[in-house]
Amino acid sequence: MAVPWSRCWRSSTGAAVLLQYCCISSRRAFTPAASAGRKAATSAATQVLFQQGHVHSFNKPVTLSRHRCKYLYSTPRVSCSLHSDAKLKDPFSLVQKDLQNIYDDIKQQLLVSKAELKALCDYYFDGKGKAFRPMIVILMARACNVHSNKEGVLLPAQRSIAMISEMIHTASLVHDDVIDDSDKRRGKNTINNVWGERKAILAGDFILSAASMALARIGNTTVVSVLSQVIEDLVRGEFMQLGSKENENERFKHYLEKTFKKTASLIANSCKAVSILVNSDPEVHEIAYQYGRNVGIAFQLVDDILDFTSNANCLGKPSAADLKLGLATGPVLFACQQFPELHSMIMRRFSSDGDVDRAWQYVLKSDGVEQTNYLAQHYCQEAIRQISRLRPSSERDALIRLTELVLRRDK
Amino acid sequence: MAWRSRLSYFGLRHLSIFSNPSPSSWTKVVSDAEKIVGYPTSFMSLRCLLSDELSNVAMHVRKLVGTKHPLLNTARGFVYDSRNNLQMRGLVVLLMSKAAGPSSSDPIHDSMVSGIYPSQRNLAEITELIHTAFLVHRGIVNLKEWTNSDGPLKDMQFGNKMAVLSGDFLLANACTGLAQLNDTKVVELISSAIGDVVQGIYHESSGSAEEDSLTVASWEDQAFLSHGALLAKSCQAAMKLARHNTEAQNLAFQYGKHLALGHKLNSELQPFVKSGSEGAVFHLDSAPVVFHRQIVGPERWQQQLKQAQNMSRQIDYTKLRGLIKMERGVSQALDLCSYHGNKALEAMKCFPPSDARSALENMACALNKF
Repeated sequence: MAVPWSRCWRSSTGAAVLLQYCCISSRRAFTPAASAGRKAATSAATQVLFQQGHVHSFNKPVTLSRHRCKYLYSTPRVSCSLHSDAKLKDPFSLVQKDLQNIYDDIKQQLLVSKAELKALCDYYFDGKGKAFRPMIVILMARACNVHSNKEGVLLPAQRSIAMISEMIHTASLVHDDVIDDSDKRRGKNTINNVWGERKAILAGDFILSAASMALARIGNTTVVSVLSQVIEDLVRGEFMQLGSKENENERFKHYLEKTFKKTASLIANSCKAVSILVNSDPEVHEIAYQYGRNVGIAFQLVDDILDFTSNANCLGKPSAADLKLGLATGPVLFACQQFPELHSMIMRRFSSDGDVDRAWQYVLKSDGVEQTNYLAQHYCQEAIRQISRLRPSSERDALIRLTELVLRRDK
Repeated sequence: MAWRSRLSYFGLRHLSIFSNPSPSSWTKVVSDAEKIVGYPTSFMSLRCLLSDELSNVAMHVRKLVGTKHPLLNTARGFVYDSRNNLQMRGLVVLLMSKAAGPSSSDPIHDSMVSGIYPSQRNLAEITELIHTAFLVHRGIVNLKEWTNSDGPLKDMQFGNKMAVLSGDFLLANACTGLAQLNDTKVVELISSAIGDVVQGIYHESSGSAEEDSLTVASWEDQAFLSHGALLAKSCQAAMKLARHNTEAQNLAFQYGKHLALGHKLNSELQPFVKSGSEGAVFHLDSAPVVFHRQIVGPERWQQQLKQAQNMSRQIDYTKLRGLIKMERGVSQALDLCSYHGNKALEAMKCFPPSDARSALENMACALNKF
């Protein structure tokens, strides 16, 4: 199953641009040659992870771990300690206490007199969500606190950020469901399906205003700016989804930028916000931001894969949903390199009869899924590299392990 | 009651906008006031309106021409009526800023342009962005209520998509704009105003359930949420940005609140007091009707509604207006309108005399002219 790296990036201008994009946006100047070295390089910690056999969806762990350049790691010692620690807790249990009442606390923020509007606003805060964003935010907060000599502390404002991140996320889901005309989400009827589009939009707006108030009450203008940027990114990302690019290079770039704005910006900026609250060092903020950004993009790439590989029941929404919406995600873009027939379908947004089925077949015949998965791994490795720059802590290590969960999740 | 909700989407939409059909007094007051704040306020959101995203929407909205999606009317309003109808709130915020003058902690005040701080100008723009965002979000159509005779469902889906996106875009710009004001109290205040507007509009769109309990007090509560809160809190925030004390903040809040309520009353009274409006339709939960319903009680009101129905069971508004005018509902609504106008004037008394103060006073006076 081990496919050499070179093949994954073979001949594809798209992928080259894409890699360039990853590198540029991680704000590190490095040449293709240097990046070649780094591609192979991950912390020994990941090596351990990859070799421990959680390779469910990893296709190339062996090749990956072959050419490691140890000099890139500032803290090899840490990786060893991670390796030897047998009592590793999983990321969820580590934050369980902090997140215990998070949905109740969110509902308390949603102060509405009218019972029906209250029911709409509370609808998705039923405790059945994954609380993936709050989990990352809390882990990042605690990891940054240890790094800043505040071990065992979680600032109330940091917990508020965890809450706010989930609120912003939910508000955007509610609006997305209207835009996409979806009728199911997490196995439930969507708000627009039950109460109609008008009320759904208003409920989303209300959740956003409550999030914005909670954010303001933290009283830190920098934090307000950082999270307001997210709201703008979410909308701009949604706008980007309206258009398609003719040119293959542009298409990849457009896709990754959209992915950043629609998914990763919230995680990246929430991570940054909790770091700002405890530490004044811009480098720490950057680590938090870059970790969130890379994990966020990987998360969405896996989501895009699941749209092809997961069955409807598992994901709580119908599969091939993206294709039906006319969206060409990672697997399709990669497949298009093998099957140029896809190009015209992408351009007409899979709108002709049979396009969705045909595109689906092409993607499964190609190694689009595999390559997207590989790209997701690349982002996770970068996330690990970033977070490894923080002082060791169980929360930091949990953030490292979390990348694996992101790659392995099946729903 | 499907006709009622349909009506609120199309027939009466213009009434919910800050429009005033008596051009002689209001428009003159407004255009005079615009000269005082330095430049026409209709240019305020230009940056936003000229962005890639909204040009994108504009391109798509053209596809809606010929359909019944309300976004089309809202968009048309940006082009034709922007001067007088859409930028009112921004103008009031600017005038209020100028009337209050420089902050006492800023003796040099060299950052002011035409007597207004840049942050206050930004706030005025944000207020407009929020207001416009909700004009757009108000026009979302419930797809399940849509019947094929109304036109293709696909057009409505597309119109909704555009309306959600452009409204969200305006709100997102408001959020980043707010953040740049660097005052978390102001962010909190304006965010709470957004929540108020949502609750006010939500009430408008849920309607019939509580019709029997409709009272003048609940009308005022609703009108404050949907129309008053944003203006009141924006005026208050403008004082906060210039570090004026809480008393000034409170007066500004009162002015904004009473002006907005008076303005809504003025709009809702138009079909009853203005000559030439004989054929005009009106909302059954507009202020004069609410006063009337409170006077006659629910039973007689139901009788009158039946009385005013024509053969196809539709309401003959001319007939209903006649019935309403026989009671004191209209005159009570007129009294309430002048009460709010006076309250707004009263709030301005404590500000030092200036052109800006006079302009705000003129606006308050114009509320009682029909």
